[in-house]
Amino acid sequence: MRVHWFAAAAALSLTAAGVAIAALPKNKALAIMHDRHEGMEKIGDTNKLLRREITSSSPFMPAVQSGAATIAGLSVKASGWFPKGTGPELGKTGAKPEIWQNQQDFVSKLHAFQGAARAFNAAAKAGDMNAIKARYADLNGACKACHDKYRMEMHH
Amino acid sequence: MPRQIPDGDAPLIGKQPVWDLPVRLVHWLLAGLITFSWWSVHHHHTDWHIWSGISILTLLIFRLLWGFVGSSTARWANFIRGPRTVIDFLRGRWTGIGHTPLGALSVVALFLAVSVQVGLGLISQDEDGIFAGPLSTLVSSDTSDKARDIHELWFETVIVGLIALHIAAIIYYRIRGKGLTKPMITGKAVTDPGAAPMRPGKWWVAVICLAVALGVARWVVAGAPPFGP
Repeated sequence: MRVHWFAAAAALSLTAAGVAIAALPKNKALAIMHDRHEGMEKIGDTNKLLRREITSSSPFMPAVQSGAATIAGLSVKASGWFPKGTGPELGKTGAKPEIWQNQQDFVSKLHAFQGAARAFNAAAKAGDMNAIKARYADLNGACKACHDKYRMEMHH
Repeated sequence: MPRQIPDGDAPLIGKQPVWDLPVRLVHWLLAGLITFSWWSVHHHHTDWHIWSGISILTLLIFRLLWGFVGSSTARWANFIRGPRTVIDFLRGRWTGIGHTPLGALSVVALFLAVSVQVGLGLISQDEDGIFAGPLSTLVSSDTSDKARDIHELWFETVIVGLIALHIAAIIYYRIRGKGLTKPMITGKAVTDPGAAPMRPGKWWVAVICLAVALGVARWVVAGAPPFGP
């Protein structure tokens, strides 16, 4: 039973990471791109508010905690945001084609982001400001590492 | 700087000092830092971009002050002139050293445009909220985003436009046989006979201006008012 559970989890994480085997119908792909855009924007906006709290002289802890939970939740959803066929060939997006050319590296960066979001969320819940600052810096580093390589400069 | 060029370089007959060392340093550092700011922000070095902007802020404050207490050709009051002088200059009825009445307009435009650009940068944040100017917490997150958009647009239109005009003017003078680049490096040029010579500034006044500029920049880096919003 245990073996099956692992196999199922492995299969799920593979598809979740965007290694979809079957071609995606266009309307489905566009819907995912839309969710991805909205989700990333929400993560960005949340991060901006978090920065203001964390760098302020008296951070409001409930705001930090709620922001951390929002990003951790969205980071899990991000597993489904990059299936093959949702690149610039289909529509306007900041996602570079390299995402699907260096799938392994991209997925490891995505996992690093998810791990950093989890760790930041845990630190926020625990409430120690020094740990929060350190995990927040890690999280931003994880965002930047992936964006520098896999996101196009977008003008909107 | 008041110090004279060593005698070995002196026998350039007819060449007189026109730009002091602080003016030349500010000019070339600005050119270099603006180029570096542009490069760094397009190569994922937003942290360097912010420090470059703060260095530019320091230079602007220094230059503003030096424009009141520096050498004669560095002083705002000596080169900002009314429209009548600009017209006289265009009709060929103007002699002097330093900025021409028309060139002075370009200097002031560049100085103001770069000041606006620095001001916008100080309150901006990047699109991911990873980097933010030291004064971004004085405004809302939405304002910081808008400031970044305008910061980008201001560079692409006003700053690039003024730099293009600046370089076009240099090329125009070059074609007409008057080199402007070398005097900005050596500080010396052939001047109109009878033009009043440059009155140099004092080195210790420049040091005070620099100290004030660094102090203000440090205050801004700390987040301004009482070090934060």
